Amino acid sequence: MIIRKISHFLCNYENIMPLFAGACLLLFIAGILLLPLPYSEKQLYPKTFDRNSSLDPYDRGGPPFTQVSIVSQYPENSPTAGLVTSYLTPFSLFLSQVTMHLGTTIVAHPGGIIDEILYNTRGLDTVVEATILFIAFAIASYIYRKV
Amino acid sequence: MIDLVGGVPLYILEFGDELVYLTPYTITLFLLALTFTVLALISQPEKQIDIAFGGDAYRAKEISVDEMRFRRFMAIACGLATMGAMVTGDIFNFTLFTAMVGITNVGIVAAVKSPHVQDAAYQYGLVALAATVPLFAGAAVYAAVTGSLSMIELMKGTVPAVPLIAKGMLMLGVIGEGMAPFYAAKAEMFRAPGAPYVIMCSLSSLLIFLRVVEIIMLG
Repeated sequence: MIIRKISHFLCNYENIMPLFAGACLLLFIAGILLLPLPYSEKQLYPKTFDRNSSLDPYDRGGPPFTQVSIVSQYPENSPTAGLVTSYLTPFSLFLSQVTMHLGTTIVAHPGGIIDEILYNTRGLDTVVEATILFIAFAIASYIYRKV
Repeated sequence: MIDLVGGVPLYILEFGDELVYLTPYTITLFLLALTFTVLALISQPEKQIDIAFGGDAYRAKEISVDEMRFRRFMAIACGLATMGAMVTGDIFNFTLFTAMVGITNVGIVAAVKSPHVQDAAYQYGLVALAATVPLFAGAAVYAAVTGSLSMIELMKGTVPAVPLIAKGMLMLGVIGEGMAPFYAAKAEMFRAPGAPYVIMCSLSSLLIFLRVVEIIMLG
């Protein structure tokens, strides 16, 4: 009997979203109650910030075309990691020289910084992320043209 | 020592830090996704026929070539995302592929000219959108607690144990992509005509669920 009531409630698909939101809420409350979670000090991708660099959050340091030691899970798979720490188009280079805030405009101008760590060691991630955007754009444009 | 959850990895393909590994379990799931993608690629869509009850009248639902091509494209994209999720050896990569499966599922029925199906797809899209929060939060907690995202490292047991809450978040994220008890909107989407493409929605969720069960048993 209770199962019948539950499935009757669920068969109206407009109830699904509040139900899922409730499930997320319960899980996140449980997550808060289970704090603190242990934090592993030995992080795979350590982050250091040089606030005086114009490339601030993306600055990996090191002179160009000299290999910088970049931490990765399987260094033997990425022998060229660290040879190029960032790529700047002439326009980006100009911006980085006149302003201190190029790091905040990574997607806001053409040919921004291609983050070498992502590009060299986690290349598949960047490909899949761009593919998700492309798929969403394809669906939106198809629906827009159809209407 | 590698834990024997899905079997010993038979082959490891190196993609930088993101290893693709093949165990008997993941090979089976991968082949299933591959077979179905090929079927969606070569098959013609079904033509639904409504028959008036108690009479001779019937009405065939026509699918335009344009619509069919778009849905086939989405079904193949869904199949590729599913295949990627089956063999990837990286937690974050898996969550990305799962998010892609969610959005392609909406795309498969987005072209259908039925208000009921469109409404269901919209509701499913909202849930899939919200499901990315626990999904990526789970991956973030994995990274914070273990310091690594590689499933091979989790298998070896060289990293700290994964807390239950991270596994719960990952699971809830995948369940939001269309598993019980949140499947109702997805079930309504199946009223759309065009059999091989619509079935892809169901198959991809099933395969992703089978894979996430293996992942939460690691580490």
